Amino acid sequence: MKLYCLSGHPTLPCNVLKFKSTTIMLDCGLDTTSVLNFLPLPLVHSPRLSKLPGWVSKDGSANLQKELKECAGRVFVDSQPEFCLPEYIHRELLDLSTIDVILISNYHCMMALPYITEHTGFTGTVYATEPTLTIGRLFMEELVNFMERVPKAQSATCWKNKEMQRMLPGPLKDVVDVWAWKRSYSIQEVNSALSKVQLVGYSQKVELFGAVQVSPLSSGYSLGSSNWIIQSHHEKVSYVSGSSLLTTHPQPMDQSSLKNSDVLILTGLTQMPTANPDGMLGEFCSNLAMTIRAGGNVLVPCYSSGVIYDLLECLYQFIDSANLGTTPFYFISPVANSSLEFSQIFAEWLCHNKQSKVYLPEPPFPHAELIQTNKLKHYPSIHGDFSSEFRQPCVVFTGHPSLRFGDVVHFMELWGKSSINTIIFTEPDFSYLDALAPYQPLAMKCVYCPIDTRLNFHQVSKLLKEVQPLHVVCPEQYTQPPLTQSHRSDLMLELQPPPMPYRRCSVLNLPHRRRYERVYILPELANSLVPSEIKPGVSLATVSAVLHSKDNKHTLQLVPKPPPVAPSKKRKRVLEEPPAVLAPKTLLSGAVPLEAFLATLQNHGFTEVKVEETADGHILHLQAEDTLIQLEEDGTHIVCDNNEPLRTTLRDLVLRFLQKL
Amino acid sequence: MDRECALLLPGVCAVLAGSGSSLPDDTSLEKLLDWFTGITEDGGSLLETCPCLLKLISTVVHNAASDPGVLSFTLRLTGLLAATEESFKTIQEHPVLNKVFNLQHWQEAGLWEDPCLRIGWIQGLRSMLQHPKALSFFVQSGFIDPLLQLQTDTSLFIAEAANQMLAHILLFFQPVPPAGCKGMDKKEKGDGMTPSSADYTAVVKSISGYLKESLVPKESKNVRQSLQTLKLLALLLAQAGPPLRDKLLQTVGDSLEELVTAGSSELTLPLMDVILSACSSSGTDERITRLLSSMLNINKPADLIHAAAAFLRRGHHDTVHTARAVRILLLPLDIMTGQTLLGTISTDEHQFSVVEQLKSKSSCISMICVCLSNTPQITLTPPDVLPCLPVSIVTAVLSLLRICSGNSPSSSTGCSEVSRNVIGSSKVQKCALEALTTLTSSPGAKERISEVFTVLIQYLENPDSDPTVLHKSYQALLKWTSVCTDFSFITDQLRHDLVEVVKKRVCDMRWEVKDSTVEFLGHLAGVCDSIKAAAEERDASEALLGDCSTTPLLREALQDSESYVRASAISALAKTLTHRWQQGATLTEEEPEIVSRLLEILSQDSEGFPRRAVVQYFISWYSSHSPPSSSSSSSSSSSSSLLMQSVRSVLSQGRADLDWEVKVHTLVLAELLLDEAFSGHPGYKKGSDSHHASPHAYGVVSEQAYTLHTHTATHTEGAESDLAVVVEQGVVSVLLSGLVDCDRPVALKACRLLITLRETVCPLSLGALDASAAMATVSCELPGCGWGREILKILKMKKSDQAKEEDIADQSGLNGAEEGGDSVCVSVCEALRSLGLDERMEVLTQSSDHIHNSPLSLLQDILTASATHTKPGEEVIVDCY
Repeated sequence: MKLYCLSGHPTLPCNVLKFKSTTIMLDCGLDTTSVLNFLPLPLVHSPRLSKLPGWVSKDGSANLQKELKECAGRVFVDSQPEFCLPEYIHRELLDLSTIDVILISNYHCMMALPYITEHTGFTGTVYATEPTLTIGRLFMEELVNFMERVPKAQSATCWKNKEMQRMLPGPLKDVVDVWAWKRSYSIQEVNSALSKVQLVGYSQKVELFGAVQVSPLSSGYSLGSSNWIIQSHHEKVSYVSGSSLLTTHPQPMDQSSLKNSDVLILTGLTQMPTANPDGMLGEFCSNLAMTIRAGGNVLVPCYSSGVIYDLLECLYQFIDSANLGTTPFYFISPVANSSLEFSQIFAEWLCHNKQSKVYLPEPPFPHAELIQTNKLKHYPSIHGDFSSEFRQPCVVFTGHPSLRFGDVVHFMELWGKSSINTIIFTEPDFSYLDALAPYQPLAMKCVYCPIDTRLNFHQVSKLLKEVQPLHVVCPEQYTQPPLTQSHRSDLMLELQPPPMPYRRCSVLNLPHRRRYERVYILPELANSLVPSEIKPGVSLATVSAVLHSKDNKHTLQLVPKPPPVAPSKKRKRVLEEPPAVLAPKTLLSGAVPLEAFLATLQNHGFTEVKVEETADGHILHLQAEDTLIQLEEDGTHIVCDNNEPLRTTLRDLVLRFLQKL
Repeated sequence: MDRECALLLPGVCAVLAGSGSSLPDDTSLEKLLDWFTGITEDGGSLLETCPCLLKLISTVVHNAASDPGVLSFTLRLTGLLAATEESFKTIQEHPVLNKVFNLQHWQEAGLWEDPCLRIGWIQGLRSMLQHPKALSFFVQSGFIDPLLQLQTDTSLFIAEAANQMLAHILLFFQPVPPAGCKGMDKKEKGDGMTPSSADYTAVVKSISGYLKESLVPKESKNVRQSLQTLKLLALLLAQAGPPLRDKLLQTVGDSLEELVTAGSSELTLPLMDVILSACSSSGTDERITRLLSSMLNINKPADLIHAAAAFLRRGHHDTVHTARAVRILLLPLDIMTGQTLLGTISTDEHQFSVVEQLKSKSSCISMICVCLSNTPQITLTPPDVLPCLPVSIVTAVLSLLRICSGNSPSSSTGCSEVSRNVIGSSKVQKCALEALTTLTSSPGAKERISEVFTVLIQYLENPDSDPTVLHKSYQALLKWTSVCTDFSFITDQLRHDLVEVVKKRVCDMRWEVKDSTVEFLGHLAGVCDSIKAAAEERDASEALLGDCSTTPLLREALQDSESYVRASAISALAKTLTHRWQQGATLTEEEPEIVSRLLEILSQDSEGFPRRAVVQYFISWYSSHSPPSSSSSSSSSSSSSLLMQSVRSVLSQGRADLDWEVKVHTLVLAELLLDEAFSGHPGYKKGSDSHHASPHAYGVVSEQAYTLHTHTATHTEGAESDLAVVVEQGVVSVLLSGLVDCDRPVALKACRLLITLRETVCPLSLGALDASAAMATVSCELPGCGWGREILKILKMKKSDQAKEEDIADQSGLNGAEEGGDSVCVSVCEALRSLGLDERMEVLTQSSDHIHNSPLSLLQDILTASATHTKPGEEVIVDCY
């Protein structure tokens, strides 16, 4: 059993498990933090961004004026943003065309799917739940839309030159694998990739080539999010990706099915172990209210699904108590409408109390009411209707959380200069200081309340105590305290035996050895067996059969009888006659009890017996006959010189104590 | 005992003797006993006045079918009757005494199983054991052993009573020491009190023997007995005189040593109690000192910490042990924070075991909390006892607070394995914040004030802080602000942070947090005011909050959806503005808006708290405003006119409120107006109510009886116009409507104020008749319905009485409002005189259950219940709340 780790990002995993002749990819997350090195893509012409000076090295030796721009004391790439893909360029690690299936745990962890299905010769199937596919599609469409709305003619590549990169300042100098960065995919690629997805429901069992069975379990993190169980008849591997024990909107996490795993692959823990989601939600609300009361606007850069549902629900309750009833809330995204509407129809994927609303019948999420009462309005983009209905002070939810593309760029330009406005970061994926870098100097107030509902270390150690896996595999980041808080030994995984850490490009030999395989016996063959009981409850039988293996199923079949040979006079045929089948020798079982055996020897006249204890058993020395009998656990030897009658006698005496099959 | 009761008592005795099953409720026996006790304590002799009682006792005791409750009552009654030597002799003449307390008798009757009887036995004997004769009786009857057995009775109440009784016997009869010994006051009654020494010696011998035997638990199940014995011992040692104490210590010394060595966790604290009691009474007994030292050296860290804390709480001044206890209590803090509080700690075994104990989360939290709650006291111990400067302890508490919130810098030298147990624990956070609040009084603590503010602001800032933790942080901040005299340490950054966090917290999702924040702002204004009064230094509020005005934040909170927050905001606003009012400052733009919002709350808010707060707001405004004088500027008078205008609305709204507390507050406001109008009049007695204008007098009714103040001074000319003003302000309407209010506190307050008013404007004395004639022209209008009609009814009734007597037929003034609808004008003076205020006052001052709480009614109840009970088929339902 081997695990190939193609991504080092703990919450955007991409691992490949080779297990019983199947090759299974677990998630294909796309690391988008690379876009922080690029200039923002403004929706409306920005004089500030268009007039940035190009970068020239101090000694003038490197001139990348066209590709790199200096902005707020840092250097950014002026090009279409690019993403850091899972490791597949170095084909020597693994040929991705050999992947049989891809299992997706949630919509955040599938964003690299088109790169893999469309460019590696992948011919397999992708498995995901329905909400994962639907919302994943929305995310991909949104991404494509964001990119294609603001086309960049050129693609910067010169800076990636190794010699060149070495001379660059700041973070750009240190980024690795820049050649592996890729521009966004196209909508065709998205469609083609998603057409390979096969939908599954929670606890549905899917057979892979008869060798293993995979099955998704609810993980409680987002709509349709799942952990996966990959099991054969005798082995069980659990894949735990983003999971949550908080009662937010999704169906609660199924923990009990993870029990008795041989190996548990643990990824997607919270990125903000010190930020408690409840506290952060409180911060979010109070900062929002504070800004609005002071007459300012609030900008919330966020993804178009997920935490935003919880934020809206929380605000729904908070609005009245904080006297914000008249403040407009805007949700701007090319997929805003679909996201809000889809969330209401995935009833079976929701937590219990939301499900029960459906039968009332009421919309499960209160954002329906916010929309009805005109408190929440949604628009595909800042162009069009939005500009005519826009009223301040207001709260705007919009993407992308990296602040490099999407409608959020416009609001940053619009509101950044005034200190009465506030930007509240709720998505934990990006460092807010890096996200804000190209907008400096910024007068706007910044509040960082990352809301990450995924398991924290306390919860995960409790979970692992309960499900008791034999071995745990996890990203190496989880095996030590965070760099900035090296004294917080409570923010790491402490397990016995210690977890196996992995990093990008690791190949782990999972410690589990396969010891058993299931083999079927045909009824006719089974009928012919003659079992004999060797001890109470245990019977043995010898069997002669032909082992037939197909589609990873093994069957014992009757030995085909040789076809009756037509009598022939040709000598040649005679030679081809099968050799007469020898009657199989009887098999012996049992142990020779020393005391009883000695007594028997005595009875048969062997009086001078010297017993010597050895590591494996005993040696009996028949001194008069100068003969040795070695009694061992798995064999008995009689050593005598040229005295066949004696040997036979002794043999028979030994056989008295053994059972024959 | 009055005659009526004496007449009824035999009947009651008969009822009780008839097994008493028909008692109106199960408290009536207790009430009866209370009454008897009262009579005895006043020096009356029950035996003489009620011979029927003795008969009752003998009947009940001989009746095998008696109710256990009545039996228990009888036992206690007997004890009460035999409490003096004389009556004891009288009772002893009857054969009843032996029978009553005869254990064997009760056991044979199978009644001893009833706890009711056992407690009656103990309490009866306890009442009786007030003289040597009783002790002799007690000893001769051999009651000491059964009493010792009851000390471990299954019923906790009985076991406790037995313990108290044992202590009583030993302490009460202990020989009078030569001179000046405490606790002997009861025995100064003469030589006759000295018990025969043989009886006392016997008692001491058996009890101390028992103590010695039962102190050390033989098996684990006997721990309870040890616990009880230790409790008894502590009781005894705390009060025993030297001979008894020495005797006791001599007897139990070995057992105590054995217990200390055994080191049972359960017994640590009671054992410590005993040793400390012995210490405080015996001073420097070597053996006790040794025991104490051993207690402070036991090797279970958790027990040790509790023992040390107990030692410190007792406030002993023994330097060696105090130093030891201090070190014990500081060690966990030292380990966790890495602050060297104990100098260089040797890596001894004790420290190792403390570290081990601290590694377990639950014991870590409980140990640290004990340490923390003792830190304030530790800092107050003499410097030669402290292993470090008091200020280092403040520093340690601050580091602990940082660790708890997860903010500790990674360079901290504390044990990380231990400190992670307290990260995020709100219990420890609260404990540490409480300690920090109390530490303000520690010597040198102020050196750390800037650090304290930084940590507290971090706590307020922390998104994960529990509402109670935030509340405690605010309290600590206020306390530290109140002791601060120099605010120069507050940097712009600190000020900015505090302002930002307060602004954020008033918008919090949790109403508790909003409430504490709003409250904090109010208190801060109060604290700042007092600081300013003390020293004309820099404005503290300004120092803390800069030029951020809190009023807009509080105004916003007036709109809050939670009524507590609205109420807190209103009182905080009052506190914030008090200073301005006192100075007679000009009206700000926002004040009229605040006032109109407050009046809106008073008239519309569905919750009582905000409405009460509104009336109190105007009370504090009215009592702190400077009345307009001729020289006052126009702006100040505009403030006054706003005040008077709104007070008028408050009076009329508050009068009609449904909440009685709002109404009482409204009356307080009316009283302030009266005070101001009549303060110049010789007849006016300001603060007629004993609790004048107390802003928190939630319906507390003074027990002080009302006294008429009659006086004959003539009235000044102004009284008439002042009365007219008061009427015009609506004060009289408030008082009159209050008078007929169904809530007693409201009616009482109104009645008192009306009497004061009457005494001022139209006293009954003859000399003032002329003046009151002039007053008679001032009239007020009564509405034709509601309270107006009630008042008119009273007036009419009085008038017709008068008419009969004096044959004056002129009632025209009152005839207008026959059936309601139209309002009517009445002369204020006439109304005041004819309302029968004094009779009303008398009725109102009596508590509502005065009729039903007398011994007479108790006796009547018992008789009535028995009468009803004898009628078959009728169920008696008695309301006995």
